[in-house]
Amino acid sequence: MNTGQVYMLLGLLSFSMLGVLHKVADVKHGRPPAINALLAVSSLVFVFAFVMFGTAGGPAVPRPVALIAIPFGISASVAILVFQAGVKHGSIATSWLAINLSAGIPTVASILIYGEPVGTKKALALALIPISMFLLWQDKKQQERRS
Amino acid sequence: MSDERDSGVWLRLMLVSFVANGIGPFGLKILTEMGLATQYQAQYLLYWYLGGFVFAAIALWRSGLRPHGTEVTLGALMGVCSLLGQSFTGLALSNGMPGHVVFPITTGGSLFLVASAGLLLFKEKVGPYGMAGMVLGIAALVGLSLG
Repeated sequence: MNTGQVYMLLGLLSFSMLGVLHKVADVKHGRPPAINALLAVSSLVFVFAFVMFGTAGGPAVPRPVALIAIPFGISASVAILVFQAGVKHGSIATSWLAINLSAGIPTVASILIYGEPVGTKKALALALIPISMFLLWQDKKQQERRS
Repeated sequence: MSDERDSGVWLRLMLVSFVANGIGPFGLKILTEMGLATQYQAQYLLYWYLGGFVFAAIALWRSGLRPHGTEVTLGALMGVCSLLGQSFTGLALSNGMPGHVVFPITTGGSLFLVASAGLLLFKEKVGPYGMAGMVLGIAALVGLSLG
C-alpha cells in the first residue's frame, strides 16, 4: 500500500469516526448547542495554529476572502447544530446519509452560477438525491407507524 | 406520538441541515473562481471556521447551557476528526491519488461505515425503504464524485 492510499484510508476513518461521534453524542445526551460550540472551537484552534505556524502569510487576507468565508462558515455551523438536533429524531445510519447528500447542492450551484457542464453520470447522480431523501423519509414514517 | 419519534420533525431538520451543509463549501468555489483559492486557502478556512465559531458561540450563549465534560470531550474529538478527515484527503490527493478514487472512497466509504455502525453497534432499525434510500444515496454520492 503506498502513502497516498494510507492517507486516503485515514481520511475515510476520520470522516467515519466523525459520523459515529455524532451518534455517541446523541446516546450520551449531548446537547446540540454545546456539541456544536465545542466542535467549532476545537476546529478553530487547530486551523489558527496551522495558519500562524504553517503558512508564510499568517492570518492577513484581502477583505473579499474573509467576507466570503464567514457567512459560508456560519452556514456550515447551522448545519451541524440542526443535524445534532435531527439525529435525536432518527437513526445515524439514515441521517448521516441525508446530510452527506448535500454534496449535490454545490454541484447544482456550480452548474447554475458558473455554467459547469453536466455529464450523464452527474445528472443521474443528482436525480438520485431527492429519490434517496424521499425513501429515507418513508422509512422513518414506516418505523413511526410500527412503534 | 412522542416528539422524539416525529418523522416530520426529522425531515424538516434534515432538510435545513442538508441545505445549510450544502451551502457551506460553496464559498471555496467562489474563491476559486475569483482566483484567490490557491494563495489563501488556509486563511479562508480560518475565517470560515471563525464564522462557524461565532454562530456556535451565540447559539450556546442564547441557550444558557454550560457544556459538561462529556460534551467538551466529544465536541473536541469531532473537531479533530473533521480536520483530520479534510487533511488526510488533501494529503492523499497531493500524494498522487486521483480525485475520482479518493472522493468516492472517503464519501461512499464513510457512509457505509457509519451506516454499519448505526445498525451493528447502536442496533438501529432500518427498513426496506431506508435500505433502498441508502443504496441510492451512496450511488448518488459516488456518481457525483466520478461525474
